[in-house]
Amino acid sequence: MIYVFRAARWLVISLAVLVSLFPFYWMLRTAVSPADEVFFDGISLIPTSFDWSNFSRAWTEASLGQAILIGSVMTLSILALQLITCIPAAYVLAKVRMRGKGVALAIVIGCLLVPGQVSLIPIFIGINSVGLADSLPGLVLPYMTSAFGIFLLRQQMMAIPDSLMDAARTDGLGHFRTLRNVVVPMAAPGIAAFSVFSVFTHWNDYMWPLLIARSPDLATPPLALALFQQADAGFDYSALAAGAAIVTAPVIVLFLIAQRRFVQGMSGAEIPG
Amino acid sequence: MTTLMRDEKIVAAARLPAQPLRRAQANLVPALFLLPAGIGIGTFVIVPAVLSLAASFFSVPLTGGAWTWVGLANYEHVLTDAAVLQAIGNTLVYSVITIVPSLGIGLCLALLANSVVRGRAFVRTALFLPMTANLVAMAVVFRWLFAFQGGFINQVLGFAGLGAVNWLGDTSTSLLTLAMVGVWRSASFSMMIFFAGLATVPGTIHEATRAEGIRGWTKLTRITLPIMKPTVVFATVVAVLGSIQVFDTINVMTQGGPQGSSETILTMTWKLGFGYFDLGAASALSFLLLVVLVGIGLIQRRVLAGGHK
Repeated sequence: MIYVFRAARWLVISLAVLVSLFPFYWMLRTAVSPADEVFFDGISLIPTSFDWSNFSRAWTEASLGQAILIGSVMTLSILALQLITCIPAAYVLAKVRMRGKGVALAIVIGCLLVPGQVSLIPIFIGINSVGLADSLPGLVLPYMTSAFGIFLLRQQMMAIPDSLMDAARTDGLGHFRTLRNVVVPMAAPGIAAFSVFSVFTHWNDYMWPLLIARSPDLATPPLALALFQQADAGFDYSALAAGAAIVTAPVIVLFLIAQRRFVQGMSGAEIPG
Repeated sequence: MTTLMRDEKIVAAARLPAQPLRRAQANLVPALFLLPAGIGIGTFVIVPAVLSLAASFFSVPLTGGAWTWVGLANYEHVLTDAAVLQAIGNTLVYSVITIVPSLGIGLCLALLANSVVRGRAFVRTALFLPMTANLVAMAVVFRWLFAFQGGFINQVLGFAGLGAVNWLGDTSTSLLTLAMVGVWRSASFSMMIFFAGLATVPGTIHEATRAEGIRGWTKLTRITLPIMKPTVVFATVVAVLGSIQVFDTINVMTQGGPQGSSETILTMTWKLGFGYFDLGAASALSFLLLVVLVGIGLIQRRVLAGGHK
């Protein structure tokens, strides 16, 4: 009986792993095949002939180099701004006694409920009217702070013992040095988790760049890939697959390096080894 | 010793009459700490949400210029327009056929993967991958997998002696195909959340249930799931919010077509706003969506609060 259960378990898990991974396999498999073979004959499960030029074709025709540069600058600028705005705010909300703090916290929690997509139209009108449409600041500014980040970091900082805060105060540390020397080091795991979450979210974001980046040289990687598909490459599946692999690779690598932080950032909970 | 003296000084200082001024000074730095985040939240969350509500009562020119008051006409427009109603219906169908399988599969896989000993890290990483990949890139790949001619799925069907299906090009299958991609993605997300939740169930619980002889289905429904209630609620809300706001895959794979058969609320909002330049109607539709989503968020908070007190 127990063997039947174990066999069934392995069967289900194997099937799930297969379904999970197959699109990735098919992406790579298509990316290495000659374009005419893909287009005319359909392709077999295992590649028989290889053509690596698909990667260079996707790289140049979709301007992926430029897109990765724009995407990196945008993602890191957003991350820097979010850390600068979220960390001090989270510290105040977690550890400082102050009048009006309850209201501030309620506003942050309220903002968690407002999904970003819904506000895009007024934000677009605003960004457009101050002349920042089709510019890097226009891509970055709307995400200068994150209610989720403030909330996640506050939860982390709540766990820092008050005795440590009192010790810092009796040593004569002001708010700024307490934050820098005590709170930030203690909250480092949470800051790392949020950073991974933020980089992942904005590297992959499609809707806002689609709205704001009108000129092709401002396209982020997902946008560049989508434009490549909509342009003339709609049926050049091997180049599209190569482009998809190039766009996906950085986030997969980030995930494999920082898997635990990633899960913590996405689900708000730590998983053990 | 010096600490004591300093404490006395602080106490003495606190008795001074100039207290309000001191308190204002003490609050100055924390207020400055809150300011950047406050500017960001005010400018890019609160004001836009309010503007979105305001714009829904006006006719708004895209290029700037005066807004014209139109009352409830935008709402009347979006709630009577056949295309918009179809998009709302599609969103509901898409949500139901995505959310239920995602949560079910996610929970099963989390439980199974959790009980695996050998190869655990590999299984977990493999099952997490769909949720980490770039969705636009994967949509490009899925469009090819489901392609009518030469697509892998149709090749398999042909091999099995079945006819090819025009997955993305037929009004009866386009939404279903997108939902399958949605399940591929969000079952992985659900699984990750359940997996993290399972890790929070204390080991003593497992020992106690084993000692009591509680196993299998009974253990899951009576012990594990109730303990994991916050996780279950969180996973459900994430799945609901994700499916209602589906956009990337549709924009890449079908653009809402054919004949509006895979149009959803967000792609419709997009089309109203930036295809037909009817920002008032787009605002009305997104404000309705906002109300629904905030409502779901509030229900989540209430359910969780009820569970803890």
